[in-house]
Amino acid sequence: MRVVIAEDLALLREGLVALLREHDIEVVAQVEDGPALLRAIAGHEPDLAIVDVRLPPSFSDEGLLAAIEARRRQPDLGILVLSQYVETAYASELIGENTAGIGYLLKERIGDVRAFLDALERVAAGGTVLDRQVVTQLLAPRGGADDGLSRLTAREREVLELMAEGRSNTAIAEALVVTPGAVEKHITNIFTKLDLPACHDDHRRVLAVLAYLRVAR
Amino acid sequence: MLAAGLSIGQYARSVLHRVAALTAVLLGAIWFLDGQGYLWPAWAWLGLAVPVLLDFTADWAWRQAPGAVRRVACVWALAGVAAVILLLTWLLTWLLAGVREFWPAWALLGVATAVSSYSLFALHDRVLVAYGRRALRARIDLLTRTRRQVVAAQAAELRRIERDLHDGAQARLVALTLQLGRAEMRVTDQPDVQRLIHEAQREAHHAIDELRDLARGIVPPLLADRGLVAAVQSLAARYGFGTTIEVATHRSLSPAAERTAYFVIAEALTNTAKHAGARHSWVALADERAALVVTVGDDGRGGADANGSGIAGLRARVEALDGTLSLESPSGGGTVVKVRIPCA
Repeated sequence: MRVVIAEDLALLREGLVALLREHDIEVVAQVEDGPALLRAIAGHEPDLAIVDVRLPPSFSDEGLLAAIEARRRQPDLGILVLSQYVETAYASELIGENTAGIGYLLKERIGDVRAFLDALERVAAGGTVLDRQVVTQLLAPRGGADDGLSRLTAREREVLELMAEGRSNTAIAEALVVTPGAVEKHITNIFTKLDLPACHDDHRRVLAVLAYLRVAR
Repeated sequence: MLAAGLSIGQYARSVLHRVAALTAVLLGAIWFLDGQGYLWPAWAWLGLAVPVLLDFTADWAWRQAPGAVRRVACVWALAGVAAVILLLTWLLTWLLAGVREFWPAWALLGVATAVSSYSLFALHDRVLVAYGRRALRARIDLLTRTRRQVVAAQAAELRRIERDLHDGAQARLVALTLQLGRAEMRVTDQPDVQRLIHEAQREAHHAIDELRDLARGIVPPLLADRGLVAAVQSLAARYGFGTTIEVATHRSLSPAAERTAYFVIAEALTNTAKHAGARHSWVALADERAALVVTVGDDGRGGADANGSGIAGLRARVEALDGTLSLESPSGGGTVVKVRIPCA
């Protein structure tokens, strides 16, 4: 896998590069701002770009805008956006019309190396990976209307959050320290409560959940 | 004369002046024709000058501001006329009778002392009040200016702290979890060590979460990154009831105004979600001359307490920017919070 990294904080950039090289992922370019990211993508044609939301010069959402622009130019490019906070508005802008090959994770997820590398693979392969916090925010107490979400148990919410990360049943079971059978049961419950058609493909499952959450708003 | 538009008072004055002048000239002519001996008409001139002089000074005194100032002016006018009479009399006794010593000295000194003391007592309050008012106004100007500076400086400082947290402590903790993750991968054959590293990572995650909550409380990231409108849209999307957002402002807001407006809207929407049982709510941002007007309303059950701690907290925030907050919440008639924040 060939990767471009856009991150302005040297400490993080270098750590990330070291981590990826240790796992035989080729970092073809490291850049510090949006325009440089677009040049690097045009020049190296990588499989994946890892982009920080806040980049110079404005340190607001430059990275996000550059990532969206990069996708427009190269629709098959995988984009993983990293941020120190999650905004559902950013998630939906990033996903836009084309959900394939999009990831949006909190930066500290890097620390769980195996899950992080797994997420990279899935995004590069065209999957969708959303941080569980996106789901948490979408599920935040809404007050008023009784929708399917308010009927979920705490455990089912946790499973839903991990599903949004595009994880397989086995990975979810591992994270929650339960049996894969229990996970399966939770997922069936969630789909029933939310009135979603059952599907077993991890990627399509994320989309179904997302579609539901977006419609529910 | 009356037909020419003069009042009776003015008519009387002009008659007095003419009669005095005529009499003076007449007496002078009699003395001249009578052989020009002892200048006796001088005493008559002196007598005639007194009413004319009184007339002029009284006129001047009456034109002063009413109250203490006019009273003092009247006293000075009388004293002035008395002094002039004394001086002229002395001049005549010297010229006509050869009196050498300056006999009015003590009288003049007495009059001057008395009138000065009187003025000082009569005007003393007034001088103090005027001085006090000027000092008070200067103080208010100073306080207004410095408070505005403090509020602006505080907002800028909070932004800086948020940015420092983001680029400093938060980034370092993320780097730490990354290194711990790398370390964890290298000790897969030592479960004890791996567990320790895992624990350390969990602690780091807690610290990151806490810092994130702290930063969000200081300046919500969307507000810092994209401004008030985007932040309010994201806020409204979090509530289940339909929230309409109407934006009619093109102002670029100061960080302090933006932050205050955001927290007012957040608090009002939270109250709506918690207490109102509303089906619909709305947020409107509009420009008024030199102010941003924020209105948050709902169609819930109303009856919100205008003196509750939530509203009091918002009011304090708004008043720190010289703004105003009003709450309308009739029982059963929905709730409307309206805030006006002055903007330069």
